[in-house]
Amino acid sequence: MSLTEWVESYTSDLYSWALHKVSDPEQAKDLVQDTFLAAAEKVQGFKGDSTPKTWLFSILNHKIIDFYRKRVRQPARLDNQVFSTFFDEGGDWKVEKRPSQWSEDESLLDDVEFQGVLKKCMDALPEKWNTCVKLKYLMNKNGEVICQEIDITPTNFWQIIHRAKLQLRNCVEENWFKN
Amino acid sequence: MHTLFLSCLKATELIEKSLHFKLSGKEKLQLKMHTMMCDACSSYEKQSIFLEKGISLSQKADFSEDDLKKLKLVISEKLSDSK
Repeated sequence: MSLTEWVESYTSDLYSWALHKVSDPEQAKDLVQDTFLAAAEKVQGFKGDSTPKTWLFSILNHKIIDFYRKRVRQPARLDNQVFSTFFDEGGDWKVEKRPSQWSEDESLLDDVEFQGVLKKCMDALPEKWNTCVKLKYLMNKNGEVICQEIDITPTNFWQIIHRAKLQLRNCVEENWFKN
Repeated sequence: MHTLFLSCLKATELIEKSLHFKLSGKEKLQLKMHTMMCDACSSYEKQSIFLEKGISLSQKADFSEDDLKKLKLVISEKLSDSK
């Protein structure tokens, strides 16, 4: 089978996987495209030890990990500005930022409007924070493995998530529960 | 301050840590003592877990046949360019 036929046969599965893993259509398309371009360069070395599909998927998976590594590597200052927004000097909640009671019911997660607010609040996060918050679900792996694969220290990882979640929670509260 | 007492800042950090990593015995105890006494952080913990569920659900994405066709076309073109 030629590479052109592989494109016809496997693009759907590869794209669906990439989309599931990065949750961004444009990025997913680029990753699949890069996978085929890499395959074109290496196809002479493909001896058929595995099926073409398995081979293509292994190239794609490497590209996905690289994608995350780059995103998470983007320099972003971990300053304490977020903390001073939410906490006073002693580390207690500022009165106006103190979490209030939510009537958070599981069924709310199916509410399209609520999903919209959540998405808006996720998109408002700095890109790197947004990626870190989603990594657990995108990679379907635990924290230790994620940190190893994308080359970030666990401390750094949860400190980013901590800042991201403070902001995300506050945004959802402001835009949904107080509305 | 007694080492078992956490600030809310530190407590919320441990809550986030616990959602991705295993806490040590001491950390677990510290967090438990704190959330027992602090309504705001105990709400935070529940809400944070709730948001995690929302985040996991938000990752589902669909694509159209049309998208796929276009993608195949672009890739085929790039492949013939690179030859």
